[in-house]
Amino acid sequence: MKRLILILTHSVIWRSFLRFIIGVKYVNRSVLKREKQYILIANHNSHLDSMAIMSAVPMKSIHKVHPIAAQDFFGDGSTVEFLMKHFVNAVLIPRKRPKNSNDPDPLQIMSDVLDIGHSIIIYPEGTRGEPGVMQEFKKGIAMMVQRHPDIPVIPIFLDGLHRSMPKGVNLFLPSNSKLFIGEPINFSSNETELILEESLQGILEAKTH
Amino acid sequence: MNKMFPFLDIEAHLQKVVVVIFGILLFSSLLFYVWKRIKPGKLIDEMILRLRSWWVICILFLYATLSGPFATCVGLGLLSFLALREIYTHLKMRNTDRVALLVCYLCIPVQYYFAYKGWYNLFMSFIPVFMFIIIPFMMVISGYEKHMGRSMGMMTSAFVLSVFGVSHMAMLVCHPGLNLDPAMGKGLLLFLIFLTQINDVMQFTFGKLLGRNKILPVVSPNKTWEGFLGGLLGTSVIGYFMGFLTPFEDTWQIVLLSFSVALFGFIGDAIVSAIKRDFGIKDMGDSIPGHGGYLDRIDSLTASSAPFFHIVFILLLA
Repeated sequence: MKRLILILTHSVIWRSFLRFIIGVKYVNRSVLKREKQYILIANHNSHLDSMAIMSAVPMKSIHKVHPIAAQDFFGDGSTVEFLMKHFVNAVLIPRKRPKNSNDPDPLQIMSDVLDIGHSIIIYPEGTRGEPGVMQEFKKGIAMMVQRHPDIPVIPIFLDGLHRSMPKGVNLFLPSNSKLFIGEPINFSSNETELILEESLQGILEAKTH
Repeated sequence: MNKMFPFLDIEAHLQKVVVVIFGILLFSSLLFYVWKRIKPGKLIDEMILRLRSWWVICILFLYATLSGPFATCVGLGLLSFLALREIYTHLKMRNTDRVALLVCYLCIPVQYYFAYKGWYNLFMSFIPVFMFIIIPFMMVISGYEKHMGRSMGMMTSAFVLSVFGVSHMAMLVCHPGLNLDPAMGKGLLLFLIFLTQINDVMQFTFGKLLGRNKILPVVSPNKTWEGFLGGLLGTSVIGYFMGFLTPFEDTWQIVLLSFSVALFGFIGDAIVSAIKRDFGIKDMGDSIPGHGGYLDRIDSLTASSAPFFHIVFILLLA
């Protein structure tokens, strides 16, 4: 049932809406069809980002892809949380590190999702930033790569979605934009700093595909 | 059956144009096929890509034009929307302009509805009179004054370029006075589009063959005096032979119409080139393979359709 809702909202309604009304174009989408499980990393400038990436995912695996969202921003127990969980398929995590042992560990939540064979969408910048400016990456993505070295990391560059729906605005408008999907990143080493740097490179290079 | 496929029973003189257009397409396809066989290369691949897009454009345009006013209005309304979206993508609008932008998008169906109904006075006054007051006022309401003058100017001119100008083509087939017999408006619309595109081709060809002196060295270095004059002359001559599409009988009227299509087509092309140069981009988009964006294809039409409509109107009804 949930799978049906997701296919209907994302692959049918959202995809047509984003493509024909908002003007989103997908570049190199075949990568997502080729790989079975993946960690998607992308730059983050707009609330539309997750919707756009979800609509690019192939129909048959859409129920296995989860955008990672902030608990403190979306998880206020209201309709927003309900919509995020059932219509966006999001996994909510707390943004702060656990203080005592009873608090859930955000990294463990993501790991669990990957362990059952599902995929995740992460924004390594942590929050929506200024368009065109990459913020420093949070370390979470590096830890995911260290824990799950055999899951491919696919970089995505989102170009222009912030014009459709900038930060702090509740109205989205048509404006041409592009979603570039890069080839999986081959990390040269297991060091945190290097992984972060190569992820950033991967996202920037996705644009040239 | 005839409603779905109107070209099965279109008026005799329109059939000629359909034959001519598909004749040109078939001839070029054959030519390019042979050319590719003999001398393959990058240039011919590019030409083939362009030609393939031309096939799609011609089929869509002919279908929209010949199957009646409703399809024409819907098709052109969609074209206006796509062109407007394309140009707003490049304008750096402020976040506070978004309500005004939304109003612009919502005006498209209204304008085309007026065109479809053939309400000439509302059609003519809706954008240049009413929306020209309301759109700036929407920005005033949003209450952020920095760079407001710039936003007002850009948004309204982009709006006129892509919606008001293009919608005159819909009015050609819907105005009751211009459609005393059902083929009249369709003929005029085909005449306008065919000549505008021929003018583009003529200017390009004459410019490539004879071009020496630049006409607009700064904003559009590829345009030459030779191309411009050759386009004017060539389009007027071809327009004379296509005159059977129009209800006019005097030669001077047909030549005047063709001449003005060529002249305003050139102006539209130059205006869009100048805007692109200002934005620092080569094409407005990449939606039509080989041609660029929608606005790159219809740049001449944005300026030639409104003057064409009014010249026809004055000659015929005044």
